[in-house]
Amino acid sequence: MAAPETLRKSSKDIPKIANKICDDMLKDLEHAKRPLLEAVKCSLDNSFYDPKVGYLTPGKKKVATELNVSSVQKMARTVFFLDILLNNIRTGGVNTKRELYYMAKGLIKSDSHLKPLDFDDQPESDAIIEFICDMLMVYREEMNCFANDRGGQTYSKQLVVTEHLPDGTRAEVDLGSLGTTPFQPKNKPQVFKLKTKGKIDFCLIIESEGTANTLVSNGFTKRYKSILVGAQGVPSNGVRGWVRTIQDQLKIPCFFYGDLDAYTLQNIFRTLKAGSAASLIRNSEFSAPDVRFLGVLPEDVKKYDLHCYPVSEKNPAEARSLKKARDVLQNDPFFQDRRNKKLADILNWLLKNKVRCEQQAIFSVNPKDPTMPEKIIVEKIKRGSFV
Amino acid sequence: MTTKLTQHSTAEYFAKNLQQVGFSSPVKAVLTTLKEAVDNSLDACEDAAILPELEVIIRKIGQGSARNTELVEVIVDDNGPGIDADDLPSVFGEYLSSSKFGRGRCSRGQQGIGISAATTWAQLTNAAGVRVISKTKNMRKAIKEQIDVDIKANKGLVKNKETIDWDRPHGTRVEFRIDGRVQLNGDGGLLTYLEGTTLVNPHMTLKYKLLDNDPVEVIRVSNAVPEVPPPTLPHPHTMKLGEFMTHAHLYGKVTLDNFLRKGFSRVADEAIKGFVKNGLPKSFLSKPVTGLSEADYKTAFQAIQASELQNPSTRSVMIVGEEALSKSIQRLGEIDFFSVVTRKPRICDYKPVAVEVAIARFVKKVNLGDETDPIQLLRFANRVPLQFDKAACAITQAVESVNWRAYGLQQSKSNLPLGPYVFAISVVSPFIKFKNASKETIDASDELVEEIRRALMQAGQKLSRHIKREVRAADLERKLQHIEKFGPILVEALGKIVNAPKARIKRAEEGLAKLLGRDGREAEKELAEAETQLEKVKAKQEAVVREGASGSTDETKEPLKANQSETKE
Repeated sequence: MAAPETLRKSSKDIPKIANKICDDMLKDLEHAKRPLLEAVKCSLDNSFYDPKVGYLTPGKKKVATELNVSSVQKMARTVFFLDILLNNIRTGGVNTKRELYYMAKGLIKSDSHLKPLDFDDQPESDAIIEFICDMLMVYREEMNCFANDRGGQTYSKQLVVTEHLPDGTRAEVDLGSLGTTPFQPKNKPQVFKLKTKGKIDFCLIIESEGTANTLVSNGFTKRYKSILVGAQGVPSNGVRGWVRTIQDQLKIPCFFYGDLDAYTLQNIFRTLKAGSAASLIRNSEFSAPDVRFLGVLPEDVKKYDLHCYPVSEKNPAEARSLKKARDVLQNDPFFQDRRNKKLADILNWLLKNKVRCEQQAIFSVNPKDPTMPEKIIVEKIKRGSFV
Repeated sequence: MTTKLTQHSTAEYFAKNLQQVGFSSPVKAVLTTLKEAVDNSLDACEDAAILPELEVIIRKIGQGSARNTELVEVIVDDNGPGIDADDLPSVFGEYLSSSKFGRGRCSRGQQGIGISAATTWAQLTNAAGVRVISKTKNMRKAIKEQIDVDIKANKGLVKNKETIDWDRPHGTRVEFRIDGRVQLNGDGGLLTYLEGTTLVNPHMTLKYKLLDNDPVEVIRVSNAVPEVPPPTLPHPHTMKLGEFMTHAHLYGKVTLDNFLRKGFSRVADEAIKGFVKNGLPKSFLSKPVTGLSEADYKTAFQAIQASELQNPSTRSVMIVGEEALSKSIQRLGEIDFFSVVTRKPRICDYKPVAVEVAIARFVKKVNLGDETDPIQLLRFANRVPLQFDKAACAITQAVESVNWRAYGLQQSKSNLPLGPYVFAISVVSPFIKFKNASKETIDASDELVEEIRRALMQAGQKLSRHIKREVRAADLERKLQHIEKFGPILVEALGKIVNAPKARIKRAEEGLAKLLGRDGREAEKELAEAETQLEKVKAKQEAVVREGASGSTDETKEPLKANQSETKE
């Protein structure tokens, strides 16, 4: 089976890099020197944000594992798993982490002297896969290890997607012809070429897929030349990569609409716009730096008299969210950057007023008019009421 | 319609409410009877400065009068001072007849209820009270008689009195025949009681024969009779305002200054200066206490409470001492290691309290589970084992509140830790706050729980040294296994990926063996260091156990100092 053709084809020769690492380890061992495996430290304290780059990038911090009696198990597991992944790359095999866990168990079962490597549970093998990716500075998909498909549901009357398939054929999907069925890109690199039937004014990403569906049912995409994407909570790689493709290929303004609370701003919007600390090495392809925050904004709460919920320090979950907002202001380079001051201002407003407002609150404005929510959204875009 | 009011004797009240004083079930009746008799023997020996030698016999001698009960005979024989013939009826047959009531001493008995209740129980269930033999050193012959309780009059009734020859200079033997059921093991078991009593009475020799089991003899490990602390003057911080005022009126027309110095412990020049500094008007000091208004008393009292004072005298609280406990705990079974802590007395809830903790891990002991079972918890109040209503007790709450995992024990959150350990915790105070009249649980006030917690944590720190060594040993074992298991696999997998020739793989294997061998030696060295440390601790403990029991009061000084410094930290 040939290796799948992907748009985000790795610029790195993974087998070569892996071979070099293993060769160095073997050399060290021959000289009774301790081999050292280094991986990028994927955490907030090793994240840097440059607005010109647009997403979080890794710093110089490394997680180093030196061979000793305690780490020999981890190292043996790492090299064992690396062999499985390299084999997948060679043969074009594609697997999820769960499948890889069972494959490893199968190999161990078939060779009794490998028994000490056995994994008790999937988190153990997942940790090894993640360590390998961080060590090679590649993302899981480049090692042909894919997560469950969870791309965002997308609607548009103007968008036409052409997919280049691994066997050399092409598939063309006209989103306008799909009726009420959404187009849903996969959570793995697909080769898409986008074109439009006429001009598209904007792309709107909605936090709640339910609300996205409601807008479509009420005729949003018929009335406005747009692309509508449901983000389904914290955006998956599928959503992030897909919005990035729209942003890069169509060069249209992209807006995000979600709840007004610390969680949405920090976990959902920031991850969509600039990636996350946990995925530092793949943010370059899985973030859409041009997306703007359309709302809910504090000014909307006032203008449309939207219903808010109090956030209390006494409620443990809510106290955690307040603490997180404070932490973010102090430690997250994205919110600390001058260009994102307006986003930081929203966090400060949330801390000061101790309330949160849900995205569906706009449905309370003139409930007799079902098109009211879309009117508010479009008016905000026209008015420039976004951050 | 008017209701006729009638007067009842104390004996009538208790005869109707024996469940309040420990006779709520046949099982508890046997234990309580034994407990009351043993407490009295030990208290009497201590008062007379006699090293106690006790013999306990429990046997079934027939069917009980009530359904599902047995007729159980409880015999407790001691070498105590004996009881004068005239006092025998009131000791065994009269309620609230006590030499200890309200004196503020750390004696086991306090009110004079227990043994009369046991007599009542025998009388109610077997139609005969207690049979006593007693001899004091002034008597040529011993007295043997039966004592019943005259329930209407709250008086002891003597029956079948005779004089007999007895083979000892002094002592007392009591025999109760009661309805009951015998339970030996478990929290409420007789064996648990006797073990606990053994632990906190290192100066006691105890022989016992329970049912058909082999007789057991536990020899004393200390030759020092615990000094019964004299009742001391109250400490100002142990009082409430009302008590303070009543106390002042006892002293008549003396100045406040004089009253404070004479009426309390720990009040001298420095303390009085402190009171003035904390708001006691200087003019009050020269005023007679009879001339002070209630408001004046309150001002004076508040100033005293706000002032720092020395802790109450150690002598007002009785302790077993770390050394005596160390020796005594060896009597319970074959010990792997142990740790004991005696805290300096301090004030909890306005009363001086001393907490002692002994924790031991046993290699072999009856009545003890394994690694997966909860530890055996022995609770003591004034050296009396507490065996019921565990959950509500201050001691249990303190044990559960400590994070034992930090010291290497297994524990699920807020529960008793697990393992073959005995945790013995003794709370001693002239005024223990019990939850009920049967003295089964200590009231869990925040201050007391915290004080017990601190003692437990100190003991836990000592314990962790032992456990660390075990963990290190296990760690070394694991690491050495790792080398054997994973080394060859690592080299083989590397060789496979880079397609290395056999010679290279062999060289790498040799290199790896060198590296991991170095690590193995490092781990062995760490283990050896931990073992040396532990040996030092063990040697210290053994030296303590070997040392003679003489001068036990001096012996307690050293560890107490150490504790003090730990507390300050």
